[in-house]
Amino acid sequence: MKIALTVWDERISPVFDSAHTLLIADIKNEKIKNISYKSFDPELEARFAEELSLLGIEVLICGAISQTYSTLIEARTIQLIPFIGGNVNEILELYAKGNPLVPTFLMPGCSEEGF
Amino acid sequence: MDTFTQNTTEIILESISDGVFTVDHEWKIMSFNHAAEKITGISRKDAIGRHCWNVFRSNMCQDECALKKTMQEGKSFFSSSTYIINSRKKRIPTTVFTSLLKDKNGNIIGGVETFRDHSLVEELRKKLYDSFQMGDMISRSQAMRNIFKILPKVSQSDSTVLIRGETGTGKELIAKAIHDLSPRKDNPFVAINCGALPDTLLESELFGYKAGAFTHATKNKPGLFATAHKGTILLDEIGDTSPSFQVKLLRILEEKAFLPLGAVKKEKSDIRVIAATNKNLSKMVDANTFRQDLFYRINVVQLKLPPLRQKMEDIPLLVDHFIASLNKIRGKSVSGIDKTALGILMAHDYPGNIRELENIIEHAFVLCSKGDITKEHLPSTLTRQSMIEIEDNASQFPLKAAEIKVIKAFLRKNNYDRKATAKDLGIDKSTLFRKINKLGIKLPKIDGRFKR
Repeated sequence: MKIALTVWDERISPVFDSAHTLLIADIKNEKIKNISYKSFDPELEARFAEELSLLGIEVLICGAISQTYSTLIEARTIQLIPFIGGNVNEILELYAKGNPLVPTFLMPGCSEEGF
Repeated sequence: MDTFTQNTTEIILESISDGVFTVDHEWKIMSFNHAAEKITGISRKDAIGRHCWNVFRSNMCQDECALKKTMQEGKSFFSSSTYIINSRKKRIPTTVFTSLLKDKNGNIIGGVETFRDHSLVEELRKKLYDSFQMGDMISRSQAMRNIFKILPKVSQSDSTVLIRGETGTGKELIAKAIHDLSPRKDNPFVAINCGALPDTLLESELFGYKAGAFTHATKNKPGLFATAHKGTILLDEIGDTSPSFQVKLLRILEEKAFLPLGAVKKEKSDIRVIAATNKNLSKMVDANTFRQDLFYRINVVQLKLPPLRQKMEDIPLLVDHFIASLNKIRGKSVSGIDKTALGILMAHDYPGNIRELENIIEHAFVLCSKGDITKEHLPSTLTRQSMIEIEDNASQFPLKAAEIKVIKAFLRKNNYDRKATAKDLGIDKSTLFRKINKLGIKLPKIDGRFKR
């Protein structure tokens, strides 16, 4: 499974809409493989959701996201896990092992019901 | 700080409508007032102790954090082009002010961020903007707003309309707006530039032809009059048509029927005709270059579109409009235009009118992807011209030349209303008059007060 996270140094970018870097990784048998980074700017690229789809991304983990971007991503049948904040490695490890990210990494003020 | 002062400060912080939070040196939230809870939708209990970027969630957090700049440079910052995203995925426009947080001994213990919800301001701005809009046209000039006011009535009638205006003033947009507001709106709207085609081609385009009408006419071709049946046709540059075409057009308007080339029987035409021209048809009638009977037939309702140089107050509005639509088309995030670049645009005369301004913004979009459009993004001819105008006199009297340029630009912007110009320049009206006389600025024979 190919997964992407919007990252800012060692942490998840707080806002997807103004993020610049995607961490892309494969998850196989609970192991993280082939980590790569890609520059991207959703505010500049009208077709960013299509590109995510072309990259084969199945799951996207990100911080706060506005409705427009959320709709565009989900329309590509990419599973979106938004409003996540914290250390990227910890989040990736936890997710690879099949553990839920919510509520541990859920941003404050966000309801667990939506996840 | 004694207990009384501390309590007073807390009461004030809790009662103001601006959100306020404080952070320590590790960017963890130490306090979060009631308004901050209300604007972000996050309770104080959930916010305290968390990293500010996970609570505030602003587009500035990652690269342009004002609080970080304050902590690094030791001074306050204000930012107006920010937004935060709440847990319902809604962008909330905000303004942000940051400053240092010090203890009673003057030691820096963190930072304070004050933010204001601008949703209502944005909503009102949008409503105001909508009141300046009609179809795809936008204007705050009185002349255009008068047209906007009568346009629904003009649209509901089926009368022929004559639209006058220089090239690039939006004649086709007005025609389209009339069509869209009319009972014919579900049927086609077609436009043709009559001045661009020779008579035979124009007739074949408008009336169509039958198979065998001329060599290579192997099958029937319907013309625009048939295509736009029950709709609207715009005959642009009507003043450039030949006398023989004018005769044919007059007959069609009167008989409500047309004869395709090669046909023997006339076809009924239920179509609304809108004519447009950049010429003065009544003068052409006097000079016998336009048929008087056709002029009276098409001049039932006349709408005169002012050139852009007579409604310079529209430039900022139009620039915003073009930026918003180009952002959508090109998928860019240009936020606006800076003051210098806008000043250059305001000082230009626009012989090509709104179309020219649109092309200038389109040019800027090629060079600018995000942030504000600056002088560097404008076409060099425009910036050079603006420099030359200053430099012509600048070699001897640079200050005088610059002053003339600025006063002229503001006079144009205010449609030569001296009072409004003086207000914009921040000087008294009598001072402006003195400067106009001293600098030898020649004014046109119009008085902006009566035009506004």
